[in-house]
Amino acid sequence: MMAKENGGILKWMAEYDRRYVYLVLFLVMVGPLLRPIGMPITVSPDTVQYYNVLQEVQPGDKIFFTLNTEFSGYNEIQSGIIATMRVLVEKHARVCFGVAHVEATIIPDLVIKAVQAEMTANDYQYGRDYVILGYIMPNEAAVAAGAENFHGVVTQDWLGRPIAGTFLDEITDWEDWDLITDFTTGICTGYIINHYALRGTPMIINCIGVSIASEKPYLDSGIIQGLLQSMRGGAELEFLIGHPGPGLTAMDGFSFGHYMLIIFILIGNVGYFGYTRQQQMKAATEGSKNG
Amino acid sequence: MAEILKNKQLQIIVMALSFLFVFLPYFLNVPQLNTASTKLVTICSIVTAFTVALAVIAQFRRGMNIINRRSRGWYFKAYMLVTLVLMLGFSLMGRDSGPYQWVMFAVVNPLSSVNYGILAFYMASTAARAFRARNTKALMLLVSGFIVLMYQAPLTGAYFTGFEPISIYLGSTFSMAAGRMFLISVTVGAIVFGVRVILGKEPSVLGISKEEK
Amino acid sequence: MAALVYYYIKTKKVVHIRRVPGLDAIEEAVGRSAEMGKPVICSFGIGGFTYWTLAGLAILSHVAHLTAKTGSRLIVPTGGGDQALIVRPVAEEIVKTAYTMEGVEDQYTPDDLPFYSGQQYAYIGGYVGVMQRVRPGSVIMTGSHASEAMNIAETSNTVGAITITSGSYISNVAALACASDYILIGEEAPAAGAYLSDDPAQRASIRVQDLFKWLAIAVMILGLAARSLGNDLMLRLLAT
Repeated sequence: MMAKENGGILKWMAEYDRRYVYLVLFLVMVGPLLRPIGMPITVSPDTVQYYNVLQEVQPGDKIFFTLNTEFSGYNEIQSGIIATMRVLVEKHARVCFGVAHVEATIIPDLVIKAVQAEMTANDYQYGRDYVILGYIMPNEAAVAAGAENFHGVVTQDWLGRPIAGTFLDEITDWEDWDLITDFTTGICTGYIINHYALRGTPMIINCIGVSIASEKPYLDSGIIQGLLQSMRGGAELEFLIGHPGPGLTAMDGFSFGHYMLIIFILIGNVGYFGYTRQQQMKAATEGSKNG
Repeated sequence: MAEILKNKQLQIIVMALSFLFVFLPYFLNVPQLNTASTKLVTICSIVTAFTVALAVIAQFRRGMNIINRRSRGWYFKAYMLVTLVLMLGFSLMGRDSGPYQWVMFAVVNPLSSVNYGILAFYMASTAARAFRARNTKALMLLVSGFIVLMYQAPLTGAYFTGFEPISIYLGSTFSMAAGRMFLISVTVGAIVFGVRVILGKEPSVLGISKEEK
Repeated sequence: MAALVYYYIKTKKVVHIRRVPGLDAIEEAVGRSAEMGKPVICSFGIGGFTYWTLAGLAILSHVAHLTAKTGSRLIVPTGGGDQALIVRPVAEEIVKTAYTMEGVEDQYTPDDLPFYSGQQYAYIGGYVGVMQRVRPGSVIMTGSHASEAMNIAETSNTVGAITITSGSYISNVAALACASDYILIGEEAPAAGAYLSDDPAQRASIRVQDLFKWLAIAVMILGLAARSLGNDLMLRLLAT
């Protein structure tokens, strides 16, 4: 009876147009971005583990900063990338940028621009403290060759200047890296794990949300030492290091987006039980009556 | 010569030898084999790079063909070729500044970010449509999805701490098991697929139909 | 494993394989498209010559044969990655050969294999656009698709097409299971070439796959039992 009287609203709840989902989601996510509220967040154990690995970096450690992301993925994990770079600069580690996608070749410039103040304060010099190699990981063959014989594969940086005379003279193969920090949408991470992490090179990963399920087994089996999960992980890292950035700014919209999705799922289920299921039962009853 | 190179058996033999060159150094520490393997891998990288260049040339030729014939949508091909040449020119003018950077920041970044961002909306509409408690399994999926979604929202942990242990438990047991099962099955499938390729039983590798085989 | 596969190939034993709903549905989907007079869209991924792409090409071959037989239009969007440029000529050859083998070579149109950029999101823009314009009866998306898989599956659902996908990444599997009508999980896609083939040798390799999985399960149980009893022999044996 109720379903019949309220067929209108229940029917709508069962069969609402997906564009309502798009519109509401857009509003609840963009609103807090334009006018941040500053809601509290909690820090997950995985982020604490990632942070602890970064804290163990010593001055002069050679870090392979791999950017396995396109521009679109960079927008999701930029908070983790910049926060990680900030910690590495403050630890005065030596950082080598390598990218695995053509679009990522100018991301190192963006990262350096974001931490320019810290780099200047720590007297970072190109060649001595950091090098940008550019697009050196197009496929597994290149990653494998670089792990076996680094200088056989890479002889110049991304602007064509020779790397002889930089800190990369100390690198011969996978054993010489003190840490690999991989920022990934899943392009070359498997190859880096195969040819570096499985051979014992310490590695931490910051991945996009959809890749978390793929990378988690490596964390739990100890193949990688830390996993920063998507924009939320980056925000938590910003919180831990005390430098708010784009990650923390987005967390309000992040939370509201999740809640709106839950509300829409609940609406759909109310509509399903209140309307769709009744219709199915009615159709089944009439079908059995008609034989 | 062309007939010899087109021979399917020869192609399979080359594939099998390449496989052995890359596979055996993992298990046998023979310096000459290691050197040969590294060289082969480097050669593959160079060949891949040249193949990309070859493919660009092929696209150029095909594009010019479509433009000359004024086929449907020929102006899009013209636009593609013009932007291809422009970007090539811009990259030669310098990659760390200038028009190349402008195109990357002002065109490529926003466009690819928009398409990536649309994923969030598609995921949301799919989840809203798919998470219906039609039966017991679907109900379990719905409940676990609810718990994980609540935990993923950073604000939840500040006020309701009960979701964290359950969500972490679900993630580190069921989800982990499913992920590892997937990895194992995919790996096994890949190995057997590779064996089929090396034995010449997988025609798709050589671009031939099953009947042609 | 290679020895086992070779053994099965040589002995030509007839192997029974369970039905895979996703692969069986391909014929139904193409048939439905033919009845409705709508085209079929089939893609093989954005990767290079990985085994996912090769699996996608095997399925493309099967779909091309079906569309050639039924007279449906087959559209194969290509591109999405730098490596996809290398695979494209192989895909063209496969489709052309299928149409030739079915005796309808005149129905093959090179323009129905459009190249939508080597950039992933430009590719998806073209793919979604063609789906919105032609309103296909079925969309068969196999091979190595990354995040654009969700875009394709959801748009396919929006236009009312039967959607058959394969999840090449665990993260994709979860989302595609919600968005698709049929999904090929794990090694079902790479096994497609063998599954759809009448060749007993190929089907035998699927049996070997299953045998190896049983072996993996046995090793896991042994390892679990040994670890519970305080012995890490299995762990040391399997450690790299």
